[in-house]
Amino acid sequence: MAQEILMKAENISKLYQMGELEVVAVKKVDLEIYKGEFVVILGPSGSGKSTLLNILGGMDTPTDGNVFMEGENIIGFNEKKLTYYRRDKVGFVFQFYNLMGTLTAKENVELATEICQDALDIDEVMDTVGLGDRKDHFPAQLSGGEQQRVAIARAVAKNADLLLCDEPTGALDFETGIKILKLLKDINDKYKKTVVIITHNVPIGEMADRVIRMRSGEITEIKVNENPIDPERIVW
Amino acid sequence: MKKLDLRLLRSIKNSKGQFISITVTIIVAIVIFVSFSMVADKLRNSIFRYYEITNFSDITARVSKIPASAVEDLLSIEGIEDVQGRVVADVPLRVEDPDEKVRVRIVSVPPEDDSINRLYTIAGEEIGDSLNSTAVIQQFFVGREMSFGDIITPYIGGKTYPLEVVGEVGSPEYIYLMENEQTLLPEERGFGIIYVTEEFAQSTLGFQGSYNDIVIKVSDAYQGRIDSIVDQLEDELERYGVSSVVKREDQLSHSVMMQEVDSLGVMSTAMTVVFLFVAAIIISIMLSRLVRKDRMAIGVMKAIGYTDKQVLLHYVKYAVLIGVAGSFIGVLISIPVSVALVKLYIQYMNVPVLDTSMDPMYFVYGITLTTSFCVAAGLFGSRSVMSIDPAEAMRPEAPKAGKRIFLEKIKSVWSKISFSWKMVIRSISRTKRRAVFLAIGIALTYAITMLPVYMATIWNTLLDKQYGELQKMDYSIDFAVPLSTNVMLDIKQLTDIDVIEPKIEMPLQVKNGWRKKTISVVAVPNDTVMYGFMNSTGTPLELPEEGLFLSDILARILNVKAGDFVEVKGFLPGIDEKELQVKWIVEQYLGANAYMDIRQMYRILEEDGIATGAYVLTDSDITADLKDIKNIRAVQSVGDMQEAMLEYMDMIIASMGTMMLFGGILGFAIVYNITTVSINERLMEFSSLRVMGFEKKEIFRMITRENALMTAVGIILGIPVGYGMIKALETSISTEIYTIPAIILPSTYVIALIATLIFVAIAQLATYRKIHNLNFMDALKNRVS
Repeated sequence: MAQEILMKAENISKLYQMGELEVVAVKKVDLEIYKGEFVVILGPSGSGKSTLLNILGGMDTPTDGNVFMEGENIIGFNEKKLTYYRRDKVGFVFQFYNLMGTLTAKENVELATEICQDALDIDEVMDTVGLGDRKDHFPAQLSGGEQQRVAIARAVAKNADLLLCDEPTGALDFETGIKILKLLKDINDKYKKTVVIITHNVPIGEMADRVIRMRSGEITEIKVNENPIDPERIVW
Repeated sequence: MKKLDLRLLRSIKNSKGQFISITVTIIVAIVIFVSFSMVADKLRNSIFRYYEITNFSDITARVSKIPASAVEDLLSIEGIEDVQGRVVADVPLRVEDPDEKVRVRIVSVPPEDDSINRLYTIAGEEIGDSLNSTAVIQQFFVGREMSFGDIITPYIGGKTYPLEVVGEVGSPEYIYLMENEQTLLPEERGFGIIYVTEEFAQSTLGFQGSYNDIVIKVSDAYQGRIDSIVDQLEDELERYGVSSVVKREDQLSHSVMMQEVDSLGVMSTAMTVVFLFVAAIIISIMLSRLVRKDRMAIGVMKAIGYTDKQVLLHYVKYAVLIGVAGSFIGVLISIPVSVALVKLYIQYMNVPVLDTSMDPMYFVYGITLTTSFCVAAGLFGSRSVMSIDPAEAMRPEAPKAGKRIFLEKIKSVWSKISFSWKMVIRSISRTKRRAVFLAIGIALTYAITMLPVYMATIWNTLLDKQYGELQKMDYSIDFAVPLSTNVMLDIKQLTDIDVIEPKIEMPLQVKNGWRKKTISVVAVPNDTVMYGFMNSTGTPLELPEEGLFLSDILARILNVKAGDFVEVKGFLPGIDEKELQVKWIVEQYLGANAYMDIRQMYRILEEDGIATGAYVLTDSDITADLKDIKNIRAVQSVGDMQEAMLEYMDMIIASMGTMMLFGGILGFAIVYNITTVSINERLMEFSSLRVMGFEKKEIFRMITRENALMTAVGIILGIPVGYGMIKALETSISTEIYTIPAIILPSTYVIALIATLIFVAIAQLATYRKIHNLNFMDALKNRVS
């Protein structure tokens, strides 16, 4: 089946200067991400997956290479265009949720949507993430799993095409983690959003359409999963 | 409402103590600015309005005697619009208490209505053409508790003339009522002005058809050339025995009033700037720490597509809100405060015309000034928002490198410090910025609390110095006319005197280039025991045989320094200008004089062996003994003068004290805010310590030690800062009546220290509460920002 390319990274490298040392975080990576797919990038810590994700999301710039989003190269973008790219095209989910403590769940979502052109209905999204009845709670009154749901709602409600999730279950217990993964899968199905998850947790790869393995800044394997399993069957 | 704004409001709500304390600083700043600018402005307006109503003269000339026709001739001088002759004479007033010496200045009022220096009737009637009526100047009328119908009896040429008091009046010439430059102070019971008909004055004082005083109006177009008109008048009047030609700028009452207005203006601006500056520093420190603390939140904002500008604005709005809230409340408060202050001041200053209209421009200025300070502080404090990289900010901050600190290298010192103090010192040196902020804050607090303490003590110090070290005489005697120095012996016989010295006090014009000023010059023997001259470093000086000493403020006005030459000219006819060297600039806290050896004065006056008065050292009360001596015009006790001075200073002390008291508010605001900011940053650290098993008490003790150490550093830094502020104050509020010396008593340092420690202690209580109420598990678990 010929898949439509949403995003394409060409020859991406990222070097960090640490004192007198030069650290290569990402080394000549080529990657395509297709519309509507569910991708898991697997790799141990320090393998460069977070850096790659940040580059795709317009939060970081590579030392070398190009990143095309729907045919447009985001590498040449100035600060302002990059900000608008993050605003309209990408939704982020972070390991530590990173909610605003002084805003309620719903307000945290609205914080993101009120600067977007084409946001989804917030109440509906809150229902989808299962927080319809807790949307007026402050983060401190929510469990970790619930906070992560708010973070997901925040990313989804913007109605961006691409959801980038950095270790979304990393701070959660197993059961809650599975529920979050299921939610991400549902969103992938329901809203047809492209979801990219990075994790060091190998079993999560089983639910993905494609699994990309990284080590030492390089992609070592790209595997298409013919039969992705239901997240509820994942065990770690 | 925008969610970012909502976040802002909620975070203000969570730190309301800080918000309120900074807002109060802003409120105080704007109240001071609006009220005192308004007072200065309204006072000036009222004075000039009064001048207009009363047709206040531009020039006053004093001569021995001038015929009425010659006065009219002065109109031929270009620029002179109107002239008017008067008879003016100082005479004793007979009062009930025979021991009381009261002097009045008789001033004649011309029969026509549209005269120059018209009287402003406050109560009662005009004198009309009744030869037995008099109108009395308000201050004297009130001071001596007169009522209409009272008979007062001036003693003129050996005879008393009973006059009926018919009116209480004000005059633009005597808003500030002082007999002459030397008296410094109004004495409402001892000296007054009484207005009589021209006919009465001329006949009793022997001026039929002539005058001895001329008031002159100069047309508006010639106001810029007033100096040349004065010169022409001096020439023109020489043959009538001119003794002084004084333009309005140098007129006694006017110049005192203008100094008052100016110093109000300077004070209001200076205080406002200090307050706004401090508020700006607190705001920018608070915001810069807030931005650091919000690093992750800022990363999130940027990650979800907020632009740098939007995020920056989010933080700047905090400052703007403070500015807006502060100026709004400040303006509201300043309205009644201004009205009350204006009324109080104008009444106190004896200006019968009162302008209390509100000038909205001051609100606009105040709000603009305040808001711009806040915006600038906001931008400065949150500027680092721009450089926060979202990807970077999302990760927890890497722990600080735990290097060995400098002190550890000095083994001999380090090994003697206890373990818990070592922890404290390490913690401080690893968060240097925070420590520096705290120290700066405490230094500022210390300096700012020093000011009011200094202000409260300085007047006593000043009077003690002036009347103890600089001027040592117990009495000052003024003769009615210059007498031979031989009368010193006579006076000594009349009463119980230890030491008596002749003096000459004489107004002389001192000129340096285009700057000239009529100065009251005091001449005493060069081995005088009555004066302790010293320069600004406190070195004692002896009067030189040639040349003169100038007080600091006069040196500044004339722009001369020690060693410069000035031209000195007397007002007696036929005496040449002399060039003299200014030998030293000397300290003088009250009044502003020049000093010289009496022999030098003889050379200037071209007359030997005379005195206009004497200084006396004695333990007895000599006033009664010298009361009835014909040629003694006044005997003044320096002790009484000191008391009168203190009384007069009350108003100044009160108004400055109020302003300075705000310094305390400011001091507290600084310490409270900086301490609170530093606790908020450390909640995570405290939580970790609690988890490790530290008791609340132990954490509190550690923080207290850290703060104590930084407080000590701050206070040490605060001493020179406070000294500098006082020095700056010294130059900005000195006038010709008083010069505020930067003499700081040791007690000032101690009181400021205690006040600062109290502020720190109260702020520490806030810390204690935070630590006590800290739910450390929550703080660790919810990494929310």
